[in-house]
Amino acid sequence: MGEDALRLEEVAPAAFAARVAAAVEAGGRFGGLDARPDGAGGHRVRALVIAGAAPLLVATAARQGSVPGLRAMLGAADWDQREAHDRCGVRFAGDEPHRPLVAHPADPVAWTTPVSGEDVHQVAVGPIHAGVIESGHFRFHVVGERILHVDVRLFYKHRGLERAAVGCRPDEGLALVRRACAACAVANQVAYAQACEAALGLTPEPALRRQRTLMLELERLYNHLNDIGQACAGIGLAAGAMEFADLKDRMQRVNRAVGGHRFLFGTVAVGAGVAPADRAARAAARAEVLAVRDQALRAWREILFNPGARQRMRGTGRLGADAVARMGLVGPAARASGPAHDARTVSPRLWYPGFSPALAPEATGDVAARIEMRAAEIPPATEIVADLLADDAAPAPARAATAPGGVGVGWVESPRGETTCVVDLRSGRIAGLRLRTGSFANWPGVAAAAVGEILPDFPLINKSFELCYACVDR
Amino acid sequence: MLIKDLAAARRRAGLPRPGRRGSLALRHVDAGSCNGCEHELQSAAGPAYDLSRFGLHIVASPRHADILLVTGSVTRRMLEPLRAAHAAMPEPRLVAALGDCALGCGLLGHADELVGPLEQVLPVSIRIPGCPPSPEEIAAALRGVIASGRPGPTGG
Repeated sequence: MGEDALRLEEVAPAAFAARVAAAVEAGGRFGGLDARPDGAGGHRVRALVIAGAAPLLVATAARQGSVPGLRAMLGAADWDQREAHDRCGVRFAGDEPHRPLVAHPADPVAWTTPVSGEDVHQVAVGPIHAGVIESGHFRFHVVGERILHVDVRLFYKHRGLERAAVGCRPDEGLALVRRACAACAVANQVAYAQACEAALGLTPEPALRRQRTLMLELERLYNHLNDIGQACAGIGLAAGAMEFADLKDRMQRVNRAVGGHRFLFGTVAVGAGVAPADRAARAAARAEVLAVRDQALRAWREILFNPGARQRMRGTGRLGADAVARMGLVGPAARASGPAHDARTVSPRLWYPGFSPALAPEATGDVAARIEMRAAEIPPATEIVADLLADDAAPAPARAATAPGGVGVGWVESPRGETTCVVDLRSGRIAGLRLRTGSFANWPGVAAAAVGEILPDFPLINKSFELCYACVDR
Repeated sequence: MLIKDLAAARRRAGLPRPGRRGSLALRHVDAGSCNGCEHELQSAAGPAYDLSRFGLHIVASPRHADILLVTGSVTRRMLEPLRAAHAAMPEPRLVAALGDCALGCGLLGHADELVGPLEQVLPVSIRIPGCPPSPEEIAAALRGVIASGRPGPTGG
């Protein structure tokens, strides 16, 4: 039994919320909640809490379709509850009415937050946006330029990937998880592969753990470079946007040289690794990664000293550490408001010896701090990549370590924060799949950070989180 | 007259003759992609590939567009916004399927949520395969539209 052995607890409905909240209070991270038909006309609700590297699934039966709501004790569960309600009608007592999240009723009154007062009006944006970006809708409640509230309506790209996975073999399910999101493809697939392996009683050998860690950090690098460039684009700083777009493209060429694909598709398998690139390609990639880091840090310093960039980014879209904790935000966006969890510190199925998360130089919780976190995470990620590119060995398949348990949990620190995955297997086929990405955890933070700011700053605030729509919509 | 003068001035200066001249305005719609095609289209318009050198511009509204570049397996929820964007374009107009999902290759998802390949929704005349197509492939395919000089079908 490893340190990451899964614990399952079945509790009475009345005790469910308190049990989950107590596990979080004791230092665990909330990793999502979902509801499924129990096969007898009712539903089971299940929440994931991970304490260190020890996952805990707390399950209960929804009596008459209802369980006590978690929101008062655990704000992070809000979107999970709304999703569970939309998908199977489970209600969370005390938190009703549930505003639709996945469901798209035509009448705006049904899904927008009522905001009233003198001169309050709505500005509707999307689902199609002016730039080359993903589809999603924002409903701003404003007075003049001032944002009072934002209703984020996603799931326009809902493809039903998790439902489509039911009945698939684990390797077939991997293709569906990959399709969830290109920019988080490695993170999502590694979380999924870990969950499948845990359910099958498999443990990855060190060479496989190192290979996956290499791919995860390569993914982080091109994403972080992209995010800095996007933030520059958000304030019209063309020089920064172009510079970082170029650096991102260079890293994607490294991805192709090392992993055979610009988004590292095909580098993750369930229970196995892939053949590493040849020695010359890895040596060239190592030199390029170090050169990209040096150029990125030079370019970042120039942006820091650009008065326009400073003025737009500093103090904009501020979130305090208490708000971050209340909403359960994750990743660089959370760490920008103060010390916050980084899943790389508790990843026994990956390779992060002695890892400690980068600290925000100034944890001001604003756009500047969120972007600065990306810059701060580039050097340590570069070091990991440079170190792991020395590996020659083709990873051995994961070995059988424990008896198959039928349910497994995986988690990784994606570029946007901790992503969790829960897989249920029955007779070697997927019986249930839930992928909760860093983007899913952080969207409520975008809406909260926009409150009190002006409409023209919303694109910048949005880009300071740079969340995916695709891996929320699934 | 001015244009003739300009052409003469260029001949005297010995500047190379331009290739086939023309431009196309592109409007992108994400109809349910994994965001890979969006990243690569942005890169194609970015500093390394710079689509605008070839007269290819990404515009903010379908009202200004000649080509509708559609990515993704068309989801049920994006069907109406996609049709509205196409209807908003002036004629003549072309539709490009960008990436394997829009082309209906290896569509992934639940049948309840997907409409099907783009072709079943709009008249597709430009096909850019790949998962996702690289920025070079996107740039080459779109340059090909200008180079061929054919306006193509006007669409429905």
